[in-house]
Amino acid sequence: MYYLRISDTPIDVNEMYQKLVDPQYGGIDMFVGTIRQWTGNVETTKIEYSAYQPMAEKQLEKIAAPIEAQGGRVVVAHRTGSLALTDIAVFVGVAAPHRAEAFKWCRFVIDTLKHEVPIWKKEYDTDKVRWGN
Amino acid sequence: MGKLTEVTIKLFAFLQDRLGPTVQIEVPTPVKVAVLFDKVSQLDPQLSATLANSRLAVNQEFVDSDEVSLTASDEIAIIPPVSGG
Repeated sequence: MYYLRISDTPIDVNEMYQKLVDPQYGGIDMFVGTIRQWTGNVETTKIEYSAYQPMAEKQLEKIAAPIEAQGGRVVVAHRTGSLALTDIAVFVGVAAPHRAEAFKWCRFVIDTLKHEVPIWKKEYDTDKVRWGN
Repeated sequence: MGKLTEVTIKLFAFLQDRLGPTVQIEVPTPVKVAVLFDKVSQLDPQLSATLANSRLAVNQEFVDSDEVSLTASDEIAIIPPVSGG
Protein backbone atom coordinates (compact mmCIF):
# COMPACT_ATOMS: atom_id res chain seq x y z
CA MET A 1 0.00 0.00 0.00
CA TYR A 2 1.30 3.44 -0.88
CA TYR A 3 2.67 5.88 1.66
CA LEU A 4 2.15 9.57 0.85
CA ARG A 5 3.16 12.40 3.15
CA ILE A 6 3.26 16.17 2.92
CA SER A 7 4.72 17.53 6.10
CA ASP A 8 7.20 19.85 7.71
CA THR A 9 9.01 16.83 9.15
CA PRO A 10 12.52 16.29 7.71
CA ILE A 11 12.70 13.35 5.27
CA ASP A 12 14.74 10.34 6.38
CA VAL A 13 15.75 8.47 3.21
CA ASN A 14 16.39 5.19 5.00
CA GLU A 15 13.01 5.33 6.70
CA MET A 16 11.34 5.85 3.30
CA TYR A 17 13.45 3.12 1.70
CA GLN A 18 12.40 0.61 4.34
CA LYS A 19 8.76 1.14 3.33
CA LEU A 20 9.64 -0.15 -0.16
CA VAL A 21 11.44 -3.31 0.88
CA ASP A 22 9.35 -6.42 0.20
CA PRO A 23 10.18 -9.92 -1.07
CA GLN A 24 7.85 -9.48 -4.04
CA TYR A 25 9.97 -6.65 -5.44
CA GLY A 26 13.29 -6.96 -7.23
CA GLY A 27 13.81 -3.31 -8.10
CA ILE A 28 13.54 -0.13 -6.05
CA ASP A 29 14.06 3.20 -7.79
CA MET A 30 14.33 6.33 -5.69
CA PHE A 31 14.50 10.01 -6.57
CA VAL A 32 15.63 12.53 -3.97
CA GLY A 33 15.14 16.21 -4.78
CA THR A 34 17.36 18.61 -2.84
CA ILE A 35 17.80 22.36 -2.56
CA ARG A 36 20.31 23.52 -5.19
CA GLN A 37 22.50 26.56 -4.72
CA TRP A 38 23.00 27.69 -8.31
CA THR A 39 20.55 27.83 -11.22
CA GLY A 40 22.61 29.36 -13.99
CA ASN A 41 23.90 32.58 -12.45
CA VAL A 42 21.09 32.80 -9.87
CA GLU A 43 22.17 31.91 -6.35
CA THR A 44 19.52 30.41 -4.06
CA THR A 45 19.82 30.80 -0.30
CA LYS A 46 16.70 28.95 0.89
CA ILE A 47 13.29 27.76 -0.32
CA GLU A 48 9.98 27.80 1.52
CA TYR A 49 7.44 25.19 0.45
CA SER A 50 3.71 25.47 1.05
CA ALA A 51 0.86 23.19 0.03
CA TYR A 52 -2.89 22.94 -0.29
CA GLN A 53 -2.49 19.88 1.85
CA PRO A 54 -5.75 17.91 1.52
CA MET A 55 -5.92 18.41 -2.24
CA ALA A 56 -2.21 17.65 -2.62
CA GLU A 57 -2.69 14.35 -0.83
CA LYS A 58 -5.66 13.50 -3.04
CA GLN A 59 -3.64 14.30 -6.15
CA LEU A 60 -0.80 12.09 -4.96
CA GLU A 61 -3.28 9.25 -4.42
CA LYS A 62 -4.42 9.63 -8.02
CA ILE A 63 -0.83 9.28 -9.18
CA ALA A 64 -0.02 6.34 -6.92
CA ALA A 65 -3.18 4.25 -7.24
CA PRO A 66 -2.78 3.16 -10.90
CA ILE A 67 0.82 2.10 -10.23
CA GLU A 68 -0.23 0.08 -7.23
CA ALA A 69 -3.01 -1.48 -9.32
CA GLN A 70 -0.26 -2.73 -11.63
CA GLY A 71 1.66 -4.31 -8.79
CA GLY A 72 4.09 -1.58 -7.75
CA ARG A 73 4.48 0.30 -4.47
CA VAL A 74 4.78 4.07 -4.22
CA VAL A 75 6.30 6.14 -1.43
CA VAL A 76 6.25 9.94 -1.65
CA ALA A 77 7.29 12.43 1.01
CA HIS A 78 7.31 16.17 0.33
CA ARG A 79 8.46 18.86 2.69
CA THR A 80 6.73 22.05 3.63
CA GLY A 81 8.37 24.88 5.52
CA SER A 82 11.76 26.51 5.16
CA LEU A 83 14.55 24.43 3.62
CA ALA A 84 18.26 25.18 3.48
CA LEU A 85 20.76 24.23 0.78
CA THR A 86 21.10 20.43 0.39
CA ASP A 87 17.94 19.74 2.43
CA ILE A 88 15.64 17.12 0.93
CA ALA A 89 12.50 18.67 -0.57
CA VAL A 90 10.99 15.51 -2.02
CA PHE A 91 11.47 11.76 -1.90
CA VAL A 92 9.87 9.53 -4.52
CA GLY A 93 10.39 5.80 -4.33
CA VAL A 94 8.83 3.06 -6.40
CA ALA A 95 9.26 -0.65 -5.87
CA ALA A 96 8.47 -3.05 -8.70
CA PRO A 97 9.11 -6.66 -9.61
CA HIS A 98 11.71 -5.58 -12.20
CA ARG A 99 13.88 -2.53 -12.83
CA ALA A 100 12.18 -1.34 -16.02
CA GLU A 101 8.90 -0.63 -14.25
CA ALA A 102 10.68 0.79 -11.22
CA PHE A 103 12.53 3.37 -13.34
CA LYS A 104 9.49 4.18 -15.47
CA TRP A 105 7.05 4.59 -12.61
CA CYS A 106 9.44 6.59 -10.43
CA ARG A 107 9.98 9.06 -13.23
CA PHE A 108 6.25 9.21 -13.89
CA VAL A 109 5.50 10.01 -10.25
CA ILE A 110 7.99 12.87 -9.91
CA ASP A 111 7.16 14.33 -13.33
CA THR A 112 3.41 14.22 -12.67
CA LEU A 113 3.84 15.59 -9.15
CA LYS A 114 5.54 18.65 -10.61
CA HIS A 115 2.48 19.41 -12.76
CA GLU A 116 -0.54 18.17 -10.83
CA VAL A 117 0.08 18.46 -7.09
CA PRO A 118 -0.67 21.81 -5.44
CA ILE A 119 2.64 22.53 -3.76
CA TRP A 120 4.52 25.78 -4.24
CA LYS A 121 8.02 26.99 -3.63
CA LYS A 122 9.00 30.49 -2.65
CA GLU A 123 12.61 30.84 -3.59
CA TYR A 124 14.94 33.23 -1.80
CA ASP A 125 17.82 34.24 -4.05
CA THR A 126 20.70 36.49 -3.11
CA ASP A 127 19.05 39.36 -4.98
CA LYS A 128 15.29 38.66 -4.92
CA VAL A 129 12.38 36.53 -3.74
CA ARG A 130 10.25 34.76 -6.31
CA TRP A 131 7.45 32.23 -6.53
CA GLY A 132 7.70 29.12 -8.63
CA ASN A 133 10.12 28.17 -11.33
CA MET B 1 -30.11 37.63 -14.76
CA GLY B 2 -29.62 34.93 -12.13
CA LYS B 3 -29.03 35.98 -8.58
CA LEU B 4 -25.54 36.25 -7.19
CA THR B 5 -24.02 33.84 -4.70
CA GLU B 6 -21.27 34.85 -2.30
CA VAL B 7 -18.44 32.35 -2.33
CA THR B 8 -15.21 32.09 -0.39
CA ILE B 9 -12.14 31.32 -2.45
CA LYS B 10 -8.91 29.94 -1.06
CA LEU B 11 -5.72 31.46 -2.43
CA PHE B 12 -2.16 30.15 -2.43
CA ALA B 13 1.40 31.19 -3.17
CA PHE B 14 1.75 34.59 -4.90
CA LEU B 15 -2.02 35.09 -4.85
CA GLN B 16 -2.06 34.56 -1.07
CA ASP B 17 0.86 36.94 -0.58
CA ARG B 18 -1.14 39.64 -2.32
CA LEU B 19 -4.69 39.07 -1.02
CA GLY B 20 -4.45 36.79 2.02
CA PRO B 21 -5.56 33.17 2.42
CA THR B 22 -9.16 33.73 1.29
CA VAL B 23 -11.30 36.25 -0.55
CA GLN B 24 -15.07 36.50 -0.77
CA ILE B 25 -16.71 37.50 -4.01
CA GLU B 26 -20.19 37.40 -5.46
CA VAL B 27 -20.68 35.46 -8.64
CA PRO B 28 -23.63 34.25 -10.68
CA THR B 29 -24.07 30.50 -10.68
CA PRO B 30 -23.35 28.70 -12.84
CA VAL B 31 -20.36 30.92 -13.53
CA LYS B 32 -17.72 30.87 -16.23
CA VAL B 33 -14.31 30.18 -14.74
CA ALA B 34 -12.95 33.15 -16.70
CA VAL B 35 -15.56 35.43 -15.11
CA LEU B 36 -14.67 34.24 -11.61
CA PHE B 37 -10.95 34.79 -12.26
CA ASP B 38 -11.71 38.23 -13.65
CA LYS B 39 -13.53 39.18 -10.45
CA VAL B 40 -10.48 38.20 -8.42
CA SER B 41 -8.21 40.06 -10.82
CA GLN B 42 -10.24 43.21 -10.20
CA LEU B 43 -9.20 43.03 -6.54
CA ASP B 44 -5.55 43.40 -7.57
CA PRO B 45 -4.58 43.98 -11.20
CA GLN B 46 -1.06 42.68 -10.47
CA LEU B 47 -2.54 39.18 -10.28
CA SER B 48 -3.71 39.00 -13.88
CA ALA B 49 -0.61 37.26 -15.26
CA THR B 50 -0.67 34.61 -12.55
CA LEU B 51 -4.42 34.13 -12.84
CA ALA B 52 -4.06 33.59 -16.58
CA ASN B 53 -2.05 30.47 -15.78
CA SER B 54 -4.08 29.31 -12.76
CA ARG B 55 -6.64 26.54 -12.48
CA LEU B 56 -9.83 26.39 -10.45
CA ALA B 57 -10.45 23.62 -7.94
CA VAL B 58 -13.83 22.84 -6.37
CA ASN B 59 -13.96 20.48 -3.41
CA GLN B 60 -10.28 19.66 -3.97
CA GLU B 61 -10.72 18.58 -7.59
CA PHE B 62 -9.48 20.50 -10.63
CA VAL B 63 -12.28 21.91 -12.77
CA ASP B 64 -11.69 21.15 -16.44
CA SER B 65 -14.87 22.69 -17.82
CA ASP B 66 -15.31 26.37 -18.74
CA GLU B 67 -18.32 26.80 -16.47
CA VAL B 68 -19.13 25.58 -12.99
CA SER B 69 -22.08 25.62 -10.59
CA LEU B 70 -21.14 26.78 -7.11
CA THR B 71 -22.80 26.90 -3.73
CA ALA B 72 -21.72 28.74 -0.60
CA SER B 73 -20.67 25.44 0.98
CA ASP B 74 -18.31 24.38 -1.82
CA GLU B 75 -14.59 24.49 -1.08
CA ILE B 76 -13.31 26.67 -3.88
CA ALA B 77 -9.64 27.32 -4.57
CA ILE B 78 -7.53 29.00 -7.20
CA ILE B 79 -4.44 26.96 -7.94
CA PRO B 80 -1.60 29.04 -9.39
CA PRO B 81 1.14 27.21 -11.34
CA VAL B 82 2.49 24.55 -9.01
CA SER B 83 6.19 24.25 -8.26
CA GLY B 84 6.70 21.30 -5.95
CA GLY B 85 9.41 18.73 -6.30
